[in-house]
Amino acid sequence: MHEQDLEQRIRTAVEHAAPDPLEQILAACGPQSGNVIPLTPPKAKKRRWVPMAVAAALVILACGGFSVYSWRAAKTVASVVSLDVNPSIQLQVNQKERILSAQPLNEDAQIILEGMDLQGTQLQVAVNAIMGSLLQHGYLDSLSSAILISVEDSDAQRASRLEAELTGEVDAALQNASAGAAVLSQVVGYDAALETQAQASGISVGKAAMVQSIQAIAPDLSFEDLAALSVEELKQLLETGAPGLPIGTSAAADAALAYAGLVASNAITWEVDPELDERTPHYEVELHTQQGEFDYIVDAWTGEVLRGAAGLSADVSGSSGSSGSASASSGISQDDATAIALADAGIQRASALGLRVSSDWDDGHHIYEVEFRSGGAEYEYDILASDGTILKAEREDDGWRLPAAAGTSTASFIGEDAAAQAALRHAGVTASAAQSLLCQVEYDDGLAECYEVTFQTSGARYAYEIGLYDGSVLKSERTAVRSSTGGTGANSGTGTSSSSGGTSSAGVSSGGSTLISAEQAQTTAFRHAGIDADDVYELDCELERDDGSTYYSLEFKAGRMEYDYEIDAYTGAVLSVEQDRDD
Amino acid sequence: MFCMTLPAPSTGDAAALDVCLARIADGDKDALSQLYAHTRPSVYGFALSILKNAHDAEDVLQDTYLQIWSAAGRYRAQGKPMAWILSIVRNLSLDRLRAQSHTEPLVPEDWQDRFAHTPAVTEEDRMALQALLSALGDEERQIVILHALTGLKHREIAAVLQLPLPTVLSKYSRALKKLQLAWKEAERHA
Repeated sequence: MHEQDLEQRIRTAVEHAAPDPLEQILAACGPQSGNVIPLTPPKAKKRRWVPMAVAAALVILACGGFSVYSWRAAKTVASVVSLDVNPSIQLQVNQKERILSAQPLNEDAQIILEGMDLQGTQLQVAVNAIMGSLLQHGYLDSLSSAILISVEDSDAQRASRLEAELTGEVDAALQNASAGAAVLSQVVGYDAALETQAQASGISVGKAAMVQSIQAIAPDLSFEDLAALSVEELKQLLETGAPGLPIGTSAAADAALAYAGLVASNAITWEVDPELDERTPHYEVELHTQQGEFDYIVDAWTGEVLRGAAGLSADVSGSSGSSGSASASSGISQDDATAIALADAGIQRASALGLRVSSDWDDGHHIYEVEFRSGGAEYEYDILASDGTILKAEREDDGWRLPAAAGTSTASFIGEDAAAQAALRHAGVTASAAQSLLCQVEYDDGLAECYEVTFQTSGARYAYEIGLYDGSVLKSERTAVRSSTGGTGANSGTGTSSSSGGTSSAGVSSGGSTLISAEQAQTTAFRHAGIDADDVYELDCELERDDGSTYYSLEFKAGRMEYDYEIDAYTGAVLSVEQDRDD
Repeated sequence: MFCMTLPAPSTGDAAALDVCLARIADGDKDALSQLYAHTRPSVYGFALSILKNAHDAEDVLQDTYLQIWSAAGRYRAQGKPMAWILSIVRNLSLDRLRAQSHTEPLVPEDWQDRFAHTPAVTEEDRMALQALLSALGDEERQIVILHALTGLKHREIAAVLQLPLPTVLSKYSRALKKLQLAWKEAERHA
């Protein structure tokens, strides 16, 4: 019997045994003792921003009355700034960088701008106020959220200056609120067709440009469908080559609610985090009910609930979710793990934004996953709970720009040697200590993206992505090489069960149940790819075990495409998809 | 690796309990009922695990909510309402144990029999309860019950019980193994 089942049994037994003397208690409640000190009701979210938002709003009110301009230039739109999270807001700005109009482009944005009169205020003050409102509404807290700043201006110099200034402004606001959102910024050239399309879909030109670049790599996805997604979803699609159209956050929430057997009501709130860049692209849905919090993992393409507690009845109190905390073993604490990760990254705790530590199992080892954002990069660490060893250290730059125009010549690239050196320097590894050093230009859909540098030392494997032109480190990954005494991949029972979800997950957890057949896995993959089994050739299908999960790995070709699928051998869920043109 | 950590079982989230306590401090009985609904099994289970006597545990259950009612004004919202409530349970239970040690010798109670007439308690529940009582040491039982029912982390449990964290971790894991064995044994006899 697993830990969760044991605990579940204890809960049930105690709940059944507990008497219910509420009436006697209420009857015995006399007048309260006199020393009642009023409590400040707890705050649901970080509200450190409120005073600043109010201050900014006051400034706006004060300025609003004096925004009378006699000269024409004041009324001419010089630049258009848009801010997209999911709320999309478009600001028209004159030469003096004062707001001519602030337009909410969707319903979410109307709520954000409610009660604000931004007309005539300085652009930076306005952006500050908007950031205050966004933070207050909880849009930018999580690590996987993103805000896109776009500047459209005929004066290229002014555009990039504004871009830099606003990015600084937004960064500072996030820093103040310890919010973990990524900041993306871009300068957009004027494009009349794009503007029309953006207007028709109720999104900003900036977001439309992002949609357009996704369509460039995934032409079968429609503009409308993509426009409905949030900036974070779009960013993740861009990073992963947009293998499909995700179902969207509200559909994910609906799926989780339906699976939980709950109907949307005022008593239930939820948060949805897209994780389209994980190996199994999914949405994390957190349902907040009166009985507590319940987490669900929803497949990003199919909407299938992969993990979570099903059928929450009315009396679930106390029987909610499973324990995610450390069990059995002693060792370092979450705080220790955080300190180790921060020290390795050379980052102060105060500058680690959106810090999140979770407890997990990997190959039968209890680990802590520490994630945070700092200085425009996202960090992810796996720390061994028993002794604090860093198993994995990953740093990924947020640096995101619209894909460079096609036909860029490779002449100005820094060259493979320089790229390799940049990676080695960053890793603090000498050329002689680096084994199996490989460096090559990584192409995506025919466009050069970066240098990919990989090498190994006696203790770790390294993988780097290095900027083509400046040798900047876009992404770094270090994985500790484990001694052969480590896990063999077959997890101990407690290990796997601790990381799997809700205690009453109905048959979706990968424990105990039977495997689907290879044929079933194939059918799933073909259906997912939208191809007929008759068109498939060079099929290779293997059952594999890795990191405690069991899946079918399928490679096949159809038409002029090559497909790579991983299908969960227990649930049939599509774990990962790769498709490439078969050249 | 595809992984994700779920929050510990929660008997209502801390913020909601904080709100309840604030309202209770204002004399709101509905808030007390709400808090009671969220925490009753945890409070009773913890009292039972210390006292090992169902009758005493029921008394402590009642006393706890009466004390919450009168002391809520002294509670400082720190996001740890459950720990605060449990410290009341612990104090009341220990007081009771101390008082009894002077007057009557503790007669070990048989939970199998004790709950035989409680209709909600199934045969399986009785078996589980009896194993908790007979197979585990006092601290082990308290740790397991707190972990299973309250949603507190081991660190927080260590604070409530005033034990070092490594002790809590090792006792917890040993207790689960013991329970597993005891239940297997009981099932074989059943």
